[in-house]
Amino acid sequence: MNMKHENAASEQHKKNHKGSPELVKSAIIYIALAVVAWLGTTIITPQEGIHVAGIVYQTFAGVLAIIAAVFVLIGLIQVWLTPEQVSKVLGKEAGWKGLLLSATLPMILGGSLFVIFPLLKTLRGKGARTSSVVAFLFAWSAKAPLLPLEIKFLGLPFAALRLGAIPILAILGGLLAEWIVDKPLRDAGLEIPER
Amino acid sequence: MSISTIYILVAAGLLVFSFVKNREKTTKALMVAGRVALMVLPVLLFVFVLMGILEVFVPREVFTSLLGSGHGVLGIALGELLGAFALIEPAAVFPFAGFLHQSGASYGAVVGFVMSAILIGIVTLPLEIQQFGARFTITRNVIALLLIFGLGLVFMVVL
Repeated sequence: MNMKHENAASEQHKKNHKGSPELVKSAIIYIALAVVAWLGTTIITPQEGIHVAGIVYQTFAGVLAIIAAVFVLIGLIQVWLTPEQVSKVLGKEAGWKGLLLSATLPMILGGSLFVIFPLLKTLRGKGARTSSVVAFLFAWSAKAPLLPLEIKFLGLPFAALRLGAIPILAILGGLLAEWIVDKPLRDAGLEIPER
Repeated sequence: MSISTIYILVAAGLLVFSFVKNREKTTKALMVAGRVALMVLPVLLFVFVLMGILEVFVPREVFTSLLGSGHGVLGIALGELLGAFALIEPAAVFPFAGFLHQSGASYGAVVGFVMSAILIGIVTLPLEIQQFGARFTITRNVIALLLIFGLGLVFMVVL
């Protein structure tokens, strides 16, 4: 049963994980969109076109080093600490400890919702509580690998407050979601499976 | 020493440490980094051009009146709405959020935008329903919108 879930999840993962040709295609599309938008501006008002180019250049020059560091960080985290490993750790813990870990550990993960959803489905299939699944999702939104970018563009107080608030949001959200989602089970007098 | 230099040194240090521990994994990490770069850099270029164009053509007053603290709590809700519809890479969320703040958006509206851009996706809704069912999906997203709104209030008061 678990194996089946895992296979389904990994297939889903593959389906949603862009292959290299697709990656190049989407890269070309975004670059083309940027060029077209800039050309349009320049044709309408050449002066503003130069101004926009200046803004783009300055912003890029200002973040290139940070971005490079972030890319390396994301790469390292992805190979040394996979979402699968994190969910394995979470799977072993139940009760309050499980909820607390779900609300904090995923904060350092990267990846997109396309990767996280199938993983959480697997976790749920293995019996994770609704509260843990939702808390995991909220905690993942911390996106700690992007922290250097967040500090650069929004400042340290903003980043610190957001990251500090996330475990609280995750626990609140998890408990609230569980209370609502599992309500029909309770109302029907069915016991919520001890997991 | 600038912050950028420190980040680069930390990343390089971790890379060396990783390489000493496990060459294979480190090579893989660099390939992942390359993939992420290929995915994120073009999006960043597009978002930066968009920022430049918005700065040139949209008067500051538009941002201030819609997302500024003068617009009160409605600014937070608008920030959330903008984030939910934004189809951008998380890495591009922060630069654009910084632009919004510089253009006069309140910190409450900005955190509303950031959190819902990461956590709520109109494009990922079908996937979420398929994986978890409609009841879970609706509950989860409504709770997220409400909690993010609360977070926006906190940001407005604290920052």
